[in-house]
Amino acid sequence: MKELKFDKLNAVYSGEDDFRVRNMNCGIALKVVCLDPMCDDAKVSSFVLQPLAYVNDAKSLSEIEKRLAVGTGVRKPPNFFSIVEDFTNGYTLIFDGNDNCISVDTRTGVGRAIAEPPTSMVMRGPREGFIEDVKVNLTLLRKRLKTPNFKVINLTVGKYTNTAVAVCYIEGVAQKRIVDDVVQRLESVNVDGVLDSSYLARYLDVSKTVLFRRVGTTEKPDIAVGKMLEGRVAIVVDGSPMVLTLPYLFVEDMQSPGDYYENSTMTTLSRILRFISVIASVLLPSLYVCLQVYNYQIIPVKFLITILNASEAIPFSPLSEMILVLIIFDILREANLRMPSAVGISLSLVGAIVLGDAAVQAGLLGAPAVMIGALSGIGLFTFPDNTLILSLLRLLVTFIGGIMGLFGVILATLTLIIYLASMQDYKTPFLAPYAPDVPQDRQDAVAQIPVPKMKKRPRSIPNENDERRG
Amino acid sequence: MDKNRVSADQLALMYLLIIAGGKFLSLPSILAADVGHDSWLAMCFSFLWDGVCLAFLLWAIKLNSKANMDMSAILDKSVTKVVTKIILLIFFVIFALRTNILLTSCYHMFSVTFDVSTNWIVYVLPVAAVGFFVIQKGFNALARASQLFFGLILIAVIALLVSPLMEVEFSELLPIGEAGWGKILETSFTRSFWFSDYLFMFFVMDGIKVKKHVYAPVFIAFGVGVVLTVLLNAVFVALFGSYAPSFDMAMSKIGVFSAASTLNGRWDWLTLSIWLISVFIKIVTFIYCEYKCLEKLIDKNFANVNWVLAIIITLTLMLPMLVSTETLLSTVIAWGLIPFTVVQYLLPLLMPLFTKVALNKTEVKHE
Repeated sequence: MKELKFDKLNAVYSGEDDFRVRNMNCGIALKVVCLDPMCDDAKVSSFVLQPLAYVNDAKSLSEIEKRLAVGTGVRKPPNFFSIVEDFTNGYTLIFDGNDNCISVDTRTGVGRAIAEPPTSMVMRGPREGFIEDVKVNLTLLRKRLKTPNFKVINLTVGKYTNTAVAVCYIEGVAQKRIVDDVVQRLESVNVDGVLDSSYLARYLDVSKTVLFRRVGTTEKPDIAVGKMLEGRVAIVVDGSPMVLTLPYLFVEDMQSPGDYYENSTMTTLSRILRFISVIASVLLPSLYVCLQVYNYQIIPVKFLITILNASEAIPFSPLSEMILVLIIFDILREANLRMPSAVGISLSLVGAIVLGDAAVQAGLLGAPAVMIGALSGIGLFTFPDNTLILSLLRLLVTFIGGIMGLFGVILATLTLIIYLASMQDYKTPFLAPYAPDVPQDRQDAVAQIPVPKMKKRPRSIPNENDERRG
Repeated sequence: MDKNRVSADQLALMYLLIIAGGKFLSLPSILAADVGHDSWLAMCFSFLWDGVCLAFLLWAIKLNSKANMDMSAILDKSVTKVVTKIILLIFFVIFALRTNILLTSCYHMFSVTFDVSTNWIVYVLPVAAVGFFVIQKGFNALARASQLFFGLILIAVIALLVSPLMEVEFSELLPIGEAGWGKILETSFTRSFWFSDYLFMFFVMDGIKVKKHVYAPVFIAFGVGVVLTVLLNAVFVALFGSYAPSFDMAMSKIGVFSAASTLNGRWDWLTLSIWLISVFIKIVTFIYCEYKCLEKLIDKNFANVNWVLAIIITLTLMLPMLVSTETLLSTVIAWGLIPFTVVQYLLPLLMPLFTKVALNKTEVKHE
């Protein structure tokens, strides 16, 4: 004899304390089932129990579905898998005696309130940030995209976590093939659990890049919508305030959330500054070392004398000295990230003032090396999402520069750029719009033209409608 | 994505960088040794040869734009497989030689100018590694990287040219044609005949995306390359006069005349370092072409870098350890002047014809 769905569910959960079953009769015998911590008691009571309590002439579950379940989210799960999925997500299930089932949305709204994300603070512009609830996050997106073209594809990923994942895009703007590709990749994810969107980012990285992030992230709904309006796909994951965006370009990391709310000239200047900072951060320590070791003629005489005076008593070679400074800086940064914020400030002070100054005073490190290391370290934070990898690259290039001089630095830079230029996911070259050169997209890459003049969507991002106003 | 595809714009920029990468290095002093201050004229004439050949080669590329046949497929169908193999072998020798010449020049520059002395193996292996990395990632990656570096390199070259301008005595270039026009013409061919920079196009012609224009961007790049190279040559000769032949690294020497350099540090060396990127782009392109020659010689198309071919190429890069580049060059030129001339200057002229023949044969086969 075929096992009933309720019996199967009962068999799985009956031993659990939070498994609640209530027998009711409103003309037909019903079993109301819910998972206590996942449900909001008030919703269960007002959407399910109260209406059922006042009825005694119902003839079928379909009638109850139409007449009685007053919750907004009422549906008939098609199979046992969907029943379990709804049940674990906080839906209340109503079974009749014929093994029919309906589920009513009674999910609890426990979670933090919408707040300004700590990683994307802005001087001007919206301060709302995504939170850990997928429903709220979708509301934040819908609030900004009041169009029927805003589409959401709901998926569930994770064998045990059954995490809700929403693939969002604007129909007629995002290229359908890219959307299908993303959905297909997410559907093929076979993993025990998805605890954060970063888990999925690894599966969405088509070329499985060792260095550099290939999937964009944002904590701000306005940024996510802005990216969707350019043809990108946004992926909202339940339990994560980080929304993923695809395809991703390298220049995106140079763009700050506040860029679109400032004067475009100021934005351009800020971006140029960030760009210079990141190049200087990676190359400055290596140039300092190889100029000191091999090509001191390049350094102006007065500066050279300063360096010589400062490094005269240093017991290390210029390369070891710089590597030491960079490693100390990285240790401080790592420790700072893991400390509670109050202690973190003290740690920064101890690191910067006590450690740095003491090392110089003791003659272990030269002041110019500490200054260049610090300048380079600070510059890295202008590319907040790639700080770690840039820090690693800086160490590598410094090492090469110390051993091979300018020859090594040139080769290392060339190799790095070739590597970056070779990357292409979702038909989008990583270094676009500069390599390959896409003139239309330079309007909002490093330089930014005023928003009213941006009439075309970026061509680097595959889209179905090139015009921003059509 | 076809990893070896390049657009007409990328091709043009690469061509310009390749011109800038080689002709600025040792050619000015070589020409000056033969025709003195008229070396810039010899340089002009050498570009005349290049320009004609380039036009024909671009014509072939345009004809081939729909079929996207590679060079060996075109030659196979038009001049038989045996001849194709011989041509490929000659190309391989040319590229191996030119790579070695460039590497030797750079090695010399690093040891003399930048005081970085290392042994040949340690110097060559990283360069070869970058070359194989490009082969693995595809020519498209190099073309894109060239696009990114282009502006920077152009600024560096212009800065290097402009910095000594106050010191230049252009009267040193007079009287024009003093060495004799016949001699100048002869020198332009004999001294610079292995410097034809369009050769790499033979090995990427199957991947060139020709949308509308291919002549315009490539010829603009060629024009800019000609102006910069001739100007550099003229500035170099005007600066050093009769001593020009003694300064074999033209590019690194002209910055000496920048008045402020000694007080404020040799900043021109930093611009020189940026320009050196174009030299390495050229070397890497030649390594790519060498590899493609070998692949086509054995009729294979490897998805990843084949280590046997990589070892063969690396071994060719070790040649300067055994024989000096000058000896190598004079020996090969003595034996190979005619075949080198044929593949460099005759083959491009014939390429449109060969392409048409190959296209006709392909159509007949399809019918």
